[in-house]
Amino acid sequence: MIRDILMYMDRTYVTNFKKTPVHELGLNLWRDHVVRSPKIKSRLLETLLSFIHRERNGDMINRGLMRNIIKMLMDLGPSVYQEDFEKPFLEVAAGFYKMESQEFIECCDCGDYLKKAEKRLNEEIERVSHYLDSKTEIKITAVVEKEMISSHMNHLVEMENSGLVSMLAYDRYEDLGRMYNLFKRVSPGLALVRDVMTAHLRNMGKQLVTDPERLKDPLEYVRCLLNEKEKYDKIITTSFNNDKSFQNVLNSSFEYFINLNARSPEFISLFVDDKLRKSLKGVTEEDVESLLDKVMMLFRYLQEKDIFEKYYKQHLAKRLLSAKSVSEDAERSLILKLKTECGYQFTSKLESMFLDMKTSKDTMQGFNAMLSSSDICDSPSLSVQVLTTGSWPTQPGTNCNLPREILAICDKFKTYYLSTHTGRRLTWLTNMGTADLKADFGKGQRHELNVSTYQMCVLMLFNAADQMTYKEIELATDIPPVDLKRNLQSLACVKGKNVLQKDPMSREINEDDVFIFNENFSSKFFKVKISTVAAQKENEPEKQETRQKVEEDRKPQIEAAIVRIMKSRRILDHNNIVSEVTKQLQSRFLPSPVVIKKRIESLIEREFLERDTTDRKLYRYLA
Amino acid sequence: MRRSSTRKPAAATTNAGNRAAAKELERIDTLFGQYADKNEELTIGPEGIEQLCRDLGVEPTDIKILLLAWKLQAARQGYFSLEEWRRGLKAMRVDTVDKLRKALPSLQLEVANIDVFRSFYTFAFQYCLTEPRQRTLDVETACQMLELVLGDQPHVSSFITFLQEQKEYKVLTLDQWTGYLRFCEEINPDFSNYDENQAWPLLLDNYVEWAKAKQ
Repeated sequence: MIRDILMYMDRTYVTNFKKTPVHELGLNLWRDHVVRSPKIKSRLLETLLSFIHRERNGDMINRGLMRNIIKMLMDLGPSVYQEDFEKPFLEVAAGFYKMESQEFIECCDCGDYLKKAEKRLNEEIERVSHYLDSKTEIKITAVVEKEMISSHMNHLVEMENSGLVSMLAYDRYEDLGRMYNLFKRVSPGLALVRDVMTAHLRNMGKQLVTDPERLKDPLEYVRCLLNEKEKYDKIITTSFNNDKSFQNVLNSSFEYFINLNARSPEFISLFVDDKLRKSLKGVTEEDVESLLDKVMMLFRYLQEKDIFEKYYKQHLAKRLLSAKSVSEDAERSLILKLKTECGYQFTSKLESMFLDMKTSKDTMQGFNAMLSSSDICDSPSLSVQVLTTGSWPTQPGTNCNLPREILAICDKFKTYYLSTHTGRRLTWLTNMGTADLKADFGKGQRHELNVSTYQMCVLMLFNAADQMTYKEIELATDIPPVDLKRNLQSLACVKGKNVLQKDPMSREINEDDVFIFNENFSSKFFKVKISTVAAQKENEPEKQETRQKVEEDRKPQIEAAIVRIMKSRRILDHNNIVSEVTKQLQSRFLPSPVVIKKRIESLIEREFLERDTTDRKLYRYLA
Repeated sequence: MRRSSTRKPAAATTNAGNRAAAKELERIDTLFGQYADKNEELTIGPEGIEQLCRDLGVEPTDIKILLLAWKLQAARQGYFSLEEWRRGLKAMRVDTVDKLRKALPSLQLEVANIDVFRSFYTFAFQYCLTEPRQRTLDVETACQMLELVLGDQPHVSSFITFLQEQKEYKVLTLDQWTGYLRFCEEINPDFSNYDENQAWPLLLDNYVEWAKAKQ
């Protein structure tokens, strides 16, 4: 109103003489004489702050009044708002939250504390939106973050029984999510969470893979790994907003501890073997896929992929030869996955194994057709799998004397096969076959026995005799002693399947033990399966042997990599060779620097490389 | 024709020298004849070398004989061919046993130069390879050779002990052999400046580890 009265002066005089306009002057006067008058200033501030304090304590206050007063302060210029209100407001808030956080931290567990902190933070944000300047939001949240989170961060994460570790252990997704969101606000909040999670993961994983109890059961071992992986994946997706850095930490931790146990590749392959043998029966295709994907995830963590390949090949061979695979689709799908992961080279032999199986089927059809056209039908039926040497993990040359009946048909097959495939060589691998025998026992009982080829050889001897000594059996069959003993054990020492009787009745088999045909053998089943060729965990010497084979296989691979690198680089220093070789081979295994050095020395010896005459670290390629 | 005419003056001035050289060569050949193998034409065999050693008053296992072999660039252990004999004695400017005896210490001076020593050191390795296509030296011979050529170096006796104790290596390669000389040249007796990342042969990595464990 005053401005209206003095409008003319405001328009002409004030602008001409550069005086303060009336409106502004009025505000200034109001500011200096009312708002900042010594009596009012402190009282106003105190009132405001005490209102806010009461609101923080849960009382209802007159928000409209607050809004108006703050609005007035803001109208008087940003400096008034900041100096006279905002600054003390922030200070008081800092003091308040400092006290409160101290109080909470002493009496609450981590989850509750975080809940409270989150509530406080939201309250402050709400307060700003209701009656404070929006610019204050960043400042007040910074205060709350600092007092309630930053200063207690370590304490919170490490809280016993309720800190991060226990949240992870008990899948407290909500609390974890809250922690993630709150800690994300401050630095280095997430880094701290990440570090503690890594430490916990590694620790837990290490315990898991080194627990001797766990090592007894490979399937359980892998199942545990898968469970852990699933658990942490879920935590990261539900609580940590799928944060990339957390995923990386998860991956690196798994890679770290899976490789702590050198048997992980073997166990993973055994797990797959078990799944493909039986557990996948009647499972839908999608479930199979998702399971295989999970296994591939573990496979990716392995540093020694070539060892996995070795075991996988062994297990696959047994599955294929004993026709125990549940689903060929699943087998192929896994091989495809391995191929995409590691390249053509990795799976070429596995694929050729499948090819062999298929060709063998065709060959057998042809052979059987030929047999039925000629009129010999009294001989036992034969099923042969022709395996390509080199593609299969076979042990060469352990042969035995086959019974006459079998030998005849084997020879027939040989002639048949060689007549269609000239220039090939066939060797019988009697240690890998199986046979079905029909046997008549004492009380007119007839059973069909499913046995290994070796056991078949032994049992056929008893067509002509009722009892034989170990020596006689060994002489007649020519089976290697270790295999013979094992097979005799399963024929004579397993309860319910003791087709033979042994004298004396001990488990150990000695040179002059006598074996007698068990007339009184009986079984509920018509078909009796004597031996199991199921893949088992390797024992110590076998493990060593596989290890050694793998090490031998690696040598040429490392050398080839060195030569490849040097061929293109000509001159390169030691450390660079080592890192390049490691990079080239890491999709298969992780060569140690010492091993690489050894290969380099061997290449120097064979004059592929030479050392530079002055700089010892440099190698030159000799074309 | 033109070529021979331009050469003539030069030939004339060195004529006297030529004659002296021819005479020297003759004496060298005569000396060779004294030791040459009766059965094998144009070589001094092991027996001849033993005789030479007696005449020179040194043991056959003395480093001086190895130095002589090096100077001759003898290709085969225990044998000097006429060609090697001529080349070596000419280079040493000796044509009698007396002169040869006096020249031997100068060979020792010659290998005091580190570059010359390196060539001698490498020769020592190759000289011991007696079989065709042999590329490595068995540890026992290598130890004897090390003792002979590097005997007074600080690392050597402990290195030899190490070689005899370890089981991993049965033979040494030329790379390991020459690597060891550099090792002797560069590494402090307490290994304080040994750096495993410097691409030393693995054998030396093992040696340092062994020696440090012993200390």
